[in-house]
Amino acid sequence: MRVTAGITFCLVALLAASPARAHHAFAVEFDASKCADLTGVLTKVSYENPHAYIFMDGKNAAGEVVPMTFQLSSTSNLKRGGATYAALNASVNKEVTVRGCLSRNGTDNRYAASFIKLADGTIQRVGQDVEGIFGTKVWR
Amino acid sequence: MTVGVMLAAVCLLQVPAAGQEGRKPYVEARGSVVPVPLPPGGPPPKMSDGHVDLSGVWFPGPTGKANAWSVLPEQRPKEDPIPFQPWAEAKYKSFTRVDLELGSANVNCTPVGTPGMFTDNAYVHQIDAKPGQFIHLIENNNRWRVVHTDGRPHKKPEDLEPLFNGDETARWEGDTLVIDSISIDERTWIRDGWFHSDQLHVIERLRRPSLNYLEYQFTIEDPKVLTKTWTSAWLTLSLGHEDLTENFCTNNENVEQLKKLLDQQKK
Repeated sequence: MRVTAGITFCLVALLAASPARAHHAFAVEFDASKCADLTGVLTKVSYENPHAYIFMDGKNAAGEVVPMTFQLSSTSNLKRGGATYAALNASVNKEVTVRGCLSRNGTDNRYAASFIKLADGTIQRVGQDVEGIFGTKVWR
Repeated sequence: MTVGVMLAAVCLLQVPAAGQEGRKPYVEARGSVVPVPLPPGGPPPKMSDGHVDLSGVWFPGPTGKANAWSVLPEQRPKEDPIPFQPWAEAKYKSFTRVDLELGSANVNCTPVGTPGMFTDNAYVHQIDAKPGQFIHLIENNNRWRVVHTDGRPHKKPEDLEPLFNGDETARWEGDTLVIDSISIDERTWIRDGWFHSDQLHVIERLRRPSLNYLEYQFTIEDPKVLTKTWTSAWLTLSLGHEDLTENFCTNNENVEQLKKLLDQQKK
């Protein structure tokens, strides 16, 4: 009986709509079909709103080192998800890998990031799951 | 085994396994959230005047935590279609996705207004309620409003001015707080491109059915835009135990980037 009540409550609670709306729709500005793991040296963290940014000297497809910009989530989401200012800054001047999806407007080397593999090996969420690689919450 | 642990176990079973439905294997990452709903938690507290105390830090959704990186799909409630007048329907449907972005208060870091503090806000709320007053803070760009809950009338028509949150007054109907707002600045949206006129009348309802849950519903009257009154589904928020954090919008690159995209699309 208690299990039945629990299942009922759980389903009702999970299906109850979240009123949350994302800051905005990622896929309008960035192309979820043009995502890649990009490796380089993290050079700077800008921990700001509405989005934080990280900057990396990374290799492009031709093997050249170029400056890359990655848009992250808001600082509210970042710090609640473990991507604190300190956690990101600990990888500055170290090699990291970032999952980035390219800007649709043609700006060179501007991406939205969904995760970063920090210098200590931690894979850290930093943005929306536009590819469905973390589970099922796909923001379109 | 406590009810809470049982609920958590049951809810974890709802999470799809990696590889289902042809998806790529999931990346295990710090920050991803498996949502586990809070138990009801007992009866809601009461204020000294006997009304339900709505105070607390409230997260959208049922988990009492931030859910932006949930691994479950976002659920949208079943609601009636917006009863637009034909001209308004045509205008609403003409918006492109870039238009919707460039018109969004959150993209522009402008006030979300009423009912936007609930409908256009993915972040945490703090409510400080006391007899006669409802204080509503949201983390999203550090916005706030203060509403008297003694049922006082709106200002006289000649004294009204357009305000983003509108001219607000509230009253209690049993255990439900009803916030009534008029004279709302036409630059706000109800949500997602749903524009309104200067005749917008918003009736918001808040109730706390148990200690851990807050529920919110809003009704829209707008005789210049709609054919009839529309009421939302009840939306769920849940009690958190974290402080709000500073969230000022100071480095907004999205507007410039989206305008560049819009220019390209026009070529």
